[in-house]
Amino acid sequence: MVDVSQHELVPEHTVLDDDELEDVLEEYNIKKTDLPKIKRLDSALPDDADVGDVIKVVRDSRTTDRAMVYRLVVE
Amino acid sequence: MSTTDYNPIEKFEHVDDDIAAVVEDTELPRRLKTNVYETIDERDGAVTIEQADDIAKAVESKYLETRVDPLDPVGTVSAQSIGEPGTQMTMNTFHYAGVAEIDVTQGLPRLIELVDARKEPDTPMMTVHLEDEYAENREKAHEVVWQIERTRILQLGDISTNVADMLVEIDLNEDTLRERWPTYDDVVDVADEIAATIDNKLGVQTRRNGPVIEFGPEEPSYRDLLQLVEDLREIVFKGLEDVSRVVIRKEELERDGETVEEFVLYTEGSSLGDVLEIEGVDASRTTCNNIHEIHRQLGIEAARNAIIDETMNTLEEQGLDDVNIRHLMLVADIMTNRGEIESIGRHGISGSKESVLARAAFEVTVNHLLDAAIHGEVDDLDGVTENVIVGKPIKLGTGDVDLRMGADTSGEQAD
Repeated sequence: MVDVSQHELVPEHTVLDDDELEDVLEEYNIKKTDLPKIKRLDSALPDDADVGDVIKVVRDSRTTDRAMVYRLVVE
Repeated sequence: MSTTDYNPIEKFEHVDDDIAAVVEDTELPRRLKTNVYETIDERDGAVTIEQADDIAKAVESKYLETRVDPLDPVGTVSAQSIGEPGTQMTMNTFHYAGVAEIDVTQGLPRLIELVDARKEPDTPMMTVHLEDEYAENREKAHEVVWQIERTRILQLGDISTNVADMLVEIDLNEDTLRERWPTYDDVVDVADEIAATIDNKLGVQTRRNGPVIEFGPEEPSYRDLLQLVEDLREIVFKGLEDVSRVVIRKEELERDGETVEEFVLYTEGSSLGDVLEIEGVDASRTTCNNIHEIHRQLGIEAARNAIIDETMNTLEEQGLDDVNIRHLMLVADIMTNRGEIESIGRHGISGSKESVLARAAFEVTVNHLLDAAIHGEVDDLDGVTENVIVGKPIKLGTGDVDLRMGADTSGEQAD
């Protein structure tokens, strides 16, 4: 299997731990379920990600240097 | 990093209480505040409190200026900003003038295809980048070409049917075999392999005599014989079934600030998953123009990037590159928001709106109203479209602000 994380179209995905998640939700004043979603079977998902986890995606942004976005893992 | 117990004074050597106070006083988000601290810190204490205040204020005003105002209808603005240039696009399919004579749908049809999230583009194609020596050496590059381009029997030799003996005869062209199987030393081996493939796929017994392969149906039957020929034409002996043609081009590319010449392959038809596995293919740069294939192989974030790239390229190709990329990013964000690619339209985003009236206003009005009536749906009139329909002010911009008169009679008035 090809390592998709090396592909230039794929930004870095990491699983967010609980503390960081709380900060993110507080910063945006939202619930976890308001976040954009990512499917459990997504090819770029880290191996240790499970349904209910929040993934932090660090995009090479076109409008700023780097952009941090978050996606909730769903079934 | 935690927002609640974040302490810039501890974290940065040259940030003291006063500087922290002026920076914390701004409306900047956490990340920008940290950036300001970092910048100040890098000056090794040369920043006075006044200067720090100026920096913080300047960053704040720049930030507030560039921010989208609350209740700004960003979606509507994006729709207009993409829609207007869209009226200037060509209605026709053009072929890729510069790039290797491969026909690719462009202009408005391509843009529609992208936002409709069609399962298959009209003209699927891949851009295959190669690794190391494969990218530099033409022969090596050709090895990869033959791994990708599908080879059927008609490309390898002549077929004839001998009705008298109930035989299909294939006269293989040895030069073609040598060309398409460059790693084999002996054409005989190739011919053997082809014969074996035919045995396998058609369930017949082939006989090979030099470059000639012949076989026939078990029972003499004219119908079976013709059927065998039909099936034979469909067998893919080498390469990927979906790729009908590969064009090889030498290109100058920027890499690590240097200009390098390398071979790049363009394919008609696409099969990204298979191509990424082939030896010599650079799996980190190879892409295709099918956003669903990218989603399957590389995930939703890659699909989002592909949507932005493809829409921007389509616009640029038509000289409409002054469309701000933020509009395309918004489109891509909304299309990938649920973790899978949704189309913009009645089967996708617009069709999954909460409000009955908003859906009915978009397309197939009667069906939506009828379904809503049958199911007893309720419309809360929260959105824009619904309020336009019933003639109430929309909750956008100034429409969401209420003015209240002070009932206070002390002489002070609301301003």
